[in-house]
Amino acid sequence: MTGRGRALLRLFTVQGVWNYERMLGVGIGYAAEPLLEDLKAADPVRHSEAVVRSAEFFNCNPNLAGLALGATIRAEYDGAPGPQVARLRAALCSPLGALGDQLFWAGLLPALVGAALTGLALGASGWGIVAFLVAYNLVRVWTAVWALRTGLGTGMEVGGAIGRSWIPRAVPRVGFAAGCLVGLALPVVAGWYLRPFGLWGVAGVGLVTAAGVAAGRLLGARMTGSRFALLAVAATLLLRLVTR
Amino acid sequence: MTEPLVLSALLAWGTLVGLDLVSVAQSMIARPFVAGGVAGLLLGDPAAGCRVGVLLELFALDVLPIGAARYPDYGPATLAATAVAAGAPWELSLGLAGTVGLLVSVLGGWSLQRLRRLNAEAVQRHAAALAAGESVAIRRLQYGGIARDAVRSALLTAAGLVAAWVAQRWLVLDRRTAVALTLVVVGAALAAALGGALRSAGRSRRRRWLAAGLVLGLALAVLQ
Repeated sequence: MTGRGRALLRLFTVQGVWNYERMLGVGIGYAAEPLLEDLKAADPVRHSEAVVRSAEFFNCNPNLAGLALGATIRAEYDGAPGPQVARLRAALCSPLGALGDQLFWAGLLPALVGAALTGLALGASGWGIVAFLVAYNLVRVWTAVWALRTGLGTGMEVGGAIGRSWIPRAVPRVGFAAGCLVGLALPVVAGWYLRPFGLWGVAGVGLVTAAGVAAGRLLGARMTGSRFALLAVAATLLLRLVTR
Repeated sequence: MTEPLVLSALLAWGTLVGLDLVSVAQSMIARPFVAGGVAGLLLGDPAAGCRVGVLLELFALDVLPIGAARYPDYGPATLAATAVAAGAPWELSLGLAGTVGLLVSVLGGWSLQRLRRLNAEAVQRHAAALAAGESVAIRRLQYGGIARDAVRSALLTAAGLVAAWVAQRWLVLDRRTAVALTLVVVGAALAAALGGALRSAGRSRRRRWLAAGLVLGLALAVLQ
């Protein structure tokens, strides 16, 4: 396997040693190793410096990490000064984090989950799960290949390449799809669960849902969905104990 | 659920699911409806796995794993919840199963923080080697991090299965309480997903798309 292929595979474990000290840094260093092999023979001193830089602090969405990896490796081979490579790496953290998070975590993933949940509630069973996994991983693997190739192809010019690429255009579109598909899934899934319970059950669930949304809006991040659920369960058990 | 082969398969699946959340692949087998579907198959009750998985997926939709955000680990938790629900009518078991799943997911979230601190300590121990540009140190750190997460995931799955066994064995609820618990957990799950969707939509055009989806979904649910 070529160095590029090995680096691509290693990118799928880029968060293997995620920590508060260097975040993705060591994972990027691990993925960079096969790409830096040629530099070892040509310029051992530069290679050693490049290995140090490759494992320093770095953070971004893991699906777009290939852009930063490819760009910094290309810059190392092009002989860019070390501090400039480090600045490029630092400059890529925020945009790759923001774009990747919007594209994947707030866009593609909820959109496909919404579609899958709708399918499951309508009786798709195992096929809904398989279709979700195939669709997500096709996009994800294609993005990883594109990211590494683009990074290696553009080096220090990677910022412009990202700006001209499909990513900034895709982010709002995927976001709209996510909003629509999650919205579609919620009533369908609710109907799937509530069918055996009759009107009183629907009213009770509606009340709990309204209280949960209101609590989340009023208390913000302190009242997560799971915290509200555990509080509601405790209250229900207490009430049943008292009224028994 | 007590058969050794089934337990071993669940433990192996839980370990894979736990690893997939952050460390390896992120292929989304850690999503609760995927983890639950497979766990249901292993336990001989795919329908229960599906019901439990979709329930916990609604909670997972509330989570945005951005930067250093702290979040529960719903993957192995879904296995535990499925183990509670398998073989019982879902209308009566979903509430208890969801509660066990949520508690295990909180434990999973705590274990992720602990793992990240252990990883940071390992990085500090190798600081000199990293500063010297030793590739061996990078590899050692990487493999060590993945191995630690594998152990974390296996232990979390095992703890979840013990919790499921305790819940099945000792927490016998009367019918009315069991139904009430199911309705409360379903309501809270819908609230979590709706709250997360509203937060993601903000005040942008995405909110209109969310509203359009809700109207469409409502029509579909009524037609069903």
